[in-house]
Amino acid sequence: MAILEANNISKTYTIGNQRIMVLIDVSLSVARGEFLVVEGESGSGKSTLLSILSGLDTIDKGRVLIEGKDITNLPEDELAPLRNTAFGFVFQSFHLVPSLTALENIMFPAELRGDRLAREKAEILLRRVGLFERALSFPHQLSGGEKQRCAICRALVNEPRIIFADEPTGNLDSTNGKAVLNLLLELHRERMTTLVLVTHNQEIAGKADRIVTLRDGIIDTSIANV
Amino acid sequence: MFNIHLIRRQIAGSLHQSVMLVLCIILSMITLVSLGGFRRSVHASFLRDARALHAADIIIHSHVPFSGGLLNALNALEQQKSIEKAYIYEFYSVVQTDRNTRSNSFRSEKKDVPMRPRRQLHQETAEVWSMQTDHRPDTFENQQSLLSDIKVVDLGYPFYGDLELASGSPFNKVLTRGSIVVEQSLLDRLQLKLGDSLRVGSARLTIRDVVLQEPDRPVNFFALGPRVFIASADLPSLDLIGKGSRVDYTILIKVLETAELERIAGQLQAASDKERERVETYRTADSGVKRFFNNFLFFLNLIGIFTLLLAGIGIQSSLSAFLKEQEKTIAIMKAVGSRNRFIIIHYFLVVAVLGLVGTLFGLTASFFIEKIFPDLFRGLIPSNVELTISMGAVTEGCIISSFVVTLFTLLPLYRLKEVKPRSIFGKEDHHPARSPATWFTGSAITIFFIMMVLWRIRDLKSGSYFVIGVGLLILISFLCSEGILRLTSRLQSKNLILRQSLKGLFRPGNATSPIIVTLTASLTFIFTITLVEKNLDVTFVQSYPPDAPNLYFIDIQPDQKDAFARILDIPATYYPIIRGIITAVNNDPIDRDAERQKRGDNLAREFNITYRDGLLSDERIVAGKTLFHDDWSDMQVSVLDTVVKMRDMKIGDTITFRIQGIPIKARISSIRTRTRASLQPYFYFVFPERVLKNAPQTVFTAVRVDKKQIALLQNRIVARFPNVSVIDVTETVKVFARVMERLTLIVRFFTLFSVAAGILILISSVFATRHTRIQEAVYFTILGARSRFVLSVFAVENFLIGLESGLIAIALSEVGSWIICRHALDVPYNPFVGISLVMIIIPIGLVIAVGLGASLSIVRQRPAAFLREQTEE
Repeated sequence: MAILEANNISKTYTIGNQRIMVLIDVSLSVARGEFLVVEGESGSGKSTLLSILSGLDTIDKGRVLIEGKDITNLPEDELAPLRNTAFGFVFQSFHLVPSLTALENIMFPAELRGDRLAREKAEILLRRVGLFERALSFPHQLSGGEKQRCAICRALVNEPRIIFADEPTGNLDSTNGKAVLNLLLELHRERMTTLVLVTHNQEIAGKADRIVTLRDGIIDTSIANV
Repeated sequence: MFNIHLIRRQIAGSLHQSVMLVLCIILSMITLVSLGGFRRSVHASFLRDARALHAADIIIHSHVPFSGGLLNALNALEQQKSIEKAYIYEFYSVVQTDRNTRSNSFRSEKKDVPMRPRRQLHQETAEVWSMQTDHRPDTFENQQSLLSDIKVVDLGYPFYGDLELASGSPFNKVLTRGSIVVEQSLLDRLQLKLGDSLRVGSARLTIRDVVLQEPDRPVNFFALGPRVFIASADLPSLDLIGKGSRVDYTILIKVLETAELERIAGQLQAASDKERERVETYRTADSGVKRFFNNFLFFLNLIGIFTLLLAGIGIQSSLSAFLKEQEKTIAIMKAVGSRNRFIIIHYFLVVAVLGLVGTLFGLTASFFIEKIFPDLFRGLIPSNVELTISMGAVTEGCIISSFVVTLFTLLPLYRLKEVKPRSIFGKEDHHPARSPATWFTGSAITIFFIMMVLWRIRDLKSGSYFVIGVGLLILISFLCSEGILRLTSRLQSKNLILRQSLKGLFRPGNATSPIIVTLTASLTFIFTITLVEKNLDVTFVQSYPPDAPNLYFIDIQPDQKDAFARILDIPATYYPIIRGIITAVNNDPIDRDAERQKRGDNLAREFNITYRDGLLSDERIVAGKTLFHDDWSDMQVSVLDTVVKMRDMKIGDTITFRIQGIPIKARISSIRTRTRASLQPYFYFVFPERVLKNAPQTVFTAVRVDKKQIALLQNRIVARFPNVSVIDVTETVKVFARVMERLTLIVRFFTLFSVAAGILILISSVFATRHTRIQEAVYFTILGARSRFVLSVFAVENFLIGLESGLIAIALSEVGSWIICRHALDVPYNPFVGISLVMIIIPIGLVIAVGLGASLSIVRQRPAAFLREQTEE
């Protein structure tokens, strides 16, 4: 059974008097443990698709199923625990809580679910990504690469079943970008998590199990890497 | 080129912040215009109707019959047809109904007896001032009696202003020999009607009409009894005034040639006995009502200036929030070549537009608030005062408001210089330091407010106290706030919500400390007033000491004392009273005009002096070992500590009195204090018995009587001794409580504007950190937090702000009201823990509600929309 399924989803934005069709009848299925790359040009709708699949955004039409459960019309407060335990997020702009230290940022999702071992788990992850020395630093005291490593740790602390990554290397230089990507892939393999990654970086796409290409809100191609 | 459309769009784009800025300007306008309008209305009516308010051109007051010199001068002027004059005699006396009674059996023990002047009666009744009482009439057999405010007037009174009667008839036609005109409340209380007769002293007089309004008594708020007008032709038949009588003597003079006013006033002044007789023109004359309003407006002005200061902080805070939202636009404007000057002027225009809107709404709101004033000040405002907002008040409000807006927007606008074009890339993270501009604007604001205080209060000493007091209040609030916040920042909680809330307090751009300081300062004001009022209430009203006297008997003649004691039949202490004035302290003559200008008690008034050789049960000596010193050969006097507060005096200093016309110079032998809450009679000056024993005097006593027996006793005493005034102090105290309650209500009403300013600062702070709060809320949501969690974090954060403000405010208020109660009022202090807790809970609830209200839109933000905006940026 697919861990993640999208059936005929459509999304329209209204900007001023203009209605923009971002996604048109998109259907997609992601298998458990799969590394799926969604690629496409800027404005093709790939980030919107990721937001919808992760329950961060609503849709006009269609259904989204997580492990067979329809999350399309779930209210925010029912989606919240799902995002907390089943999903992990890594963003291009990191989105670390500025008032929390690196350690606190990582602990936060675990604490939310009441995990008494939040601190220990966060420290293990920090050691794993080589950031333990910066545990007490605030986001503005970290470099871009460090911030993203911290964000990856936060995404993994609750051992989610799916990680959604939106251009995780987009704000990093090539060296840091490679390091972060390798870390993400290592952890994906280690923990057998499903990874849905949005990028327009062909090099990253080359490492995916499958590549879905979006063009003007429609899935143009879906190619499995052999 | 300035683009009005851009200004409009920018205002629309930052609508929340714009509204906050406008609200702060509205608040400052309301404070300035409504208070200014009220002040001007009251002053205008006193100025416009000054002649009517005194019913004459020249007014001469005395507590004793007028001197020969003055009367000669008056007669001469009258013969020259330069003036007309009318004598007025005012005093309190107990009147009795005459229904079904034996008119011939009504007799006085002594006819040629002195009476209490009205003003002095107020001072003697435990310095309690009071409004008209509503206590029930007292019955004795078929008679009823009531303490009344008697005014005996000559034909011709009033020379100016209208004395309005219910019948509409001219006053002089109605008030003829044998007739009286009374206040409606007298008829109601004694259940009388027009045509009935009333006994006043030894005379039986017929009630002819009801007085609706007196020109020279604009409010009857402070009267102990209803008014009774008696024609001077009936004065001898009252048998209440004779040699040594103590009455408020007044001569009203109409100057027939207006241009001669000052010359004639000067001539009369020269002929008068300056220590006893006060000659004033209607332009210079003071009145109780005028003094009350001067004092009250003084206090309201202080609150107004305080509110204005807070509104200014609100303006600065909301403009900073507005400009924070505009930072990207400003960076872009700079990136495309706009100079700082252009940008500052552009945003100054934005402020000007918002200022204009705020001014218009503020003016409208002021007009509405002015409509509440008549209800708020009911009974306190003279009926001739028209509460209107004059053009002068509007102009003054607009000018001062513009000044305030300019002063408080100066710094945020100047700081636009610090926005760098690189902010476009979101790289800007400037934390403005305390630059010279900060110090400059801070100093300008301080100077402006000091000038405001001096201008409005016109009293350097009180103004300085106020400035220092507010400065200290803000400084202490700031230090407490900073200290507690510093401690809070070190707190490590295991509770995630609490931890996040604590972090939130230190969110960049969060004006946590200014909010706490503002709320603390305004709450301290309200809490202190409430605690002092409660303490006074519990001391004097709720728990009127069970052993304290409740019935005062004034003006007993020494030769009536034994008969009086027999009728009273209650063991009592009889205090001799001799009236006298102070002419000098340490040979320095008393400046009577300067003394009368003082807000509190003063040395220019007439005092009740007594003699005895021991302390009273509620007295103790605070300076000097004994009441009097056997080894001193000089004349000695013991003074109450209250006197020392009026002027700095110490043991050995000399006070020169004039007692019954005889100068007496005495050295201060001791300074006494007393337990004010005891409600025992007290005297400022006590002489040794041998000095004053033979001076002309009256006797005063106070006893505790069962409430049910008061009426009977009062009637019994008045029937035998009509000259004796009987005052039921418990009723007076109840009236005092009602007056306190009313004044507190008014003060609270105006202080609420200060709280509103604090709340506006809180809301603008929420908006100033809106972006960061949304960011937090979205991140929490993405990471799996429910909206309840996010709301809880914001609620607890606001709870902490409210709690800290409330706790500091209550601590400061407890200290402040303790000082006021113990040292200024000398009453026992009760911290009112329960009420204090409620007072803390209310602002906490308010802060949580306001904070959450402003945060709801933040929580409702969809995470994806925010993330998209972030990515687009």
